[in-house]
Amino acid sequence: MTDLPTFIVDREFKAPRSLVWRAWTDPKLLAHWYGPGVETVIHKFELKPEGVWLNEMKMKGGSNFQKMIFKEIEEPSKMVWHHCSADADWNVAANPMMPDWPRKLLTTVTFEERESGTTVRLTQVPLEATDAEIACFDQMKDGMSGGWGAGFKFVDELLETLG
Amino acid sequence: MEQIGYTSDASRLDAVFHALADGTRRAILSRLIEGEASVNELAEPFSISQPAVSKHLKVLERAGLVERAIDEQRRPARLKADTLLEAVGWLVDFRPMWGTSFDQLDALLLQMQETDQIGTDT
Repeated sequence: MTDLPTFIVDREFKAPRSLVWRAWTDPKLLAHWYGPGVETVIHKFELKPEGVWLNEMKMKGGSNFQKMIFKEIEEPSKMVWHHCSADADWNVAANPMMPDWPRKLLTTVTFEERESGTTVRLTQVPLEATDAEIACFDQMKDGMSGGWGAGFKFVDELLETLG
Repeated sequence: MEQIGYTSDASRLDAVFHALADGTRRAILSRLIEGEASVNELAEPFSISQPAVSKHLKVLERAGLVERAIDEQRRPARLKADTLLEAVGWLVDFRPMWGTSFDQLDALLLQMQETDQIGTDT
């Protein structure tokens, strides 16, 4: 288990922890920021263990669906959920664009109060994953941190030109 | 959803990422959006040699983003717009999800605090 690829992102927000927690747990606020530059629709949001967060991201080529199943909620310091890719009927399913992307990711978010604000750490590890899924996640994770900024900026420009 | 022209093949994935990671190749793609162009025409604005352009084109071809006409002597390069659109749509899904989202959260938190400020002041 220890050799599973792990995606970690740390971020400090200049806001009190209670506010960060609110932005994360009020579905109206969450929909406002969640999703990279896309329209996000939250169809269901039950903030309790085994509660679900049904999330739709409206992508260029069609919607992308995620089903999150909360596992632990420790207000205001920690939440854990299973981050699943889903089909339009909210069944856990492989991402059609990328079949080897892990269907389930164990996601842990911690919120730490600091003098200057709030430190958030988000960790994702493949869950019940096949070898192919683990390899895919490992590869994407490395690619993401390997300076794809310019490539992604280009993608945005392309969308404007072609769209 | 329609299957993208190629499978989840990790090597294919690598090819697209690799192709887009280079500034010259991105510029070549941008140029080809306007229409097909020969190696000669592509080399000119970039002040790089024709062999270098050919090499970049090979990378783009391997990624399925560009095709070369076979029969014509000047073998103009053409954008495979469908593949590019598909690839781009697909890449957008895997944009640094959290980095971009967190930028948006940053902005929202700032906004929330400003609103709170106004609330307490009045």
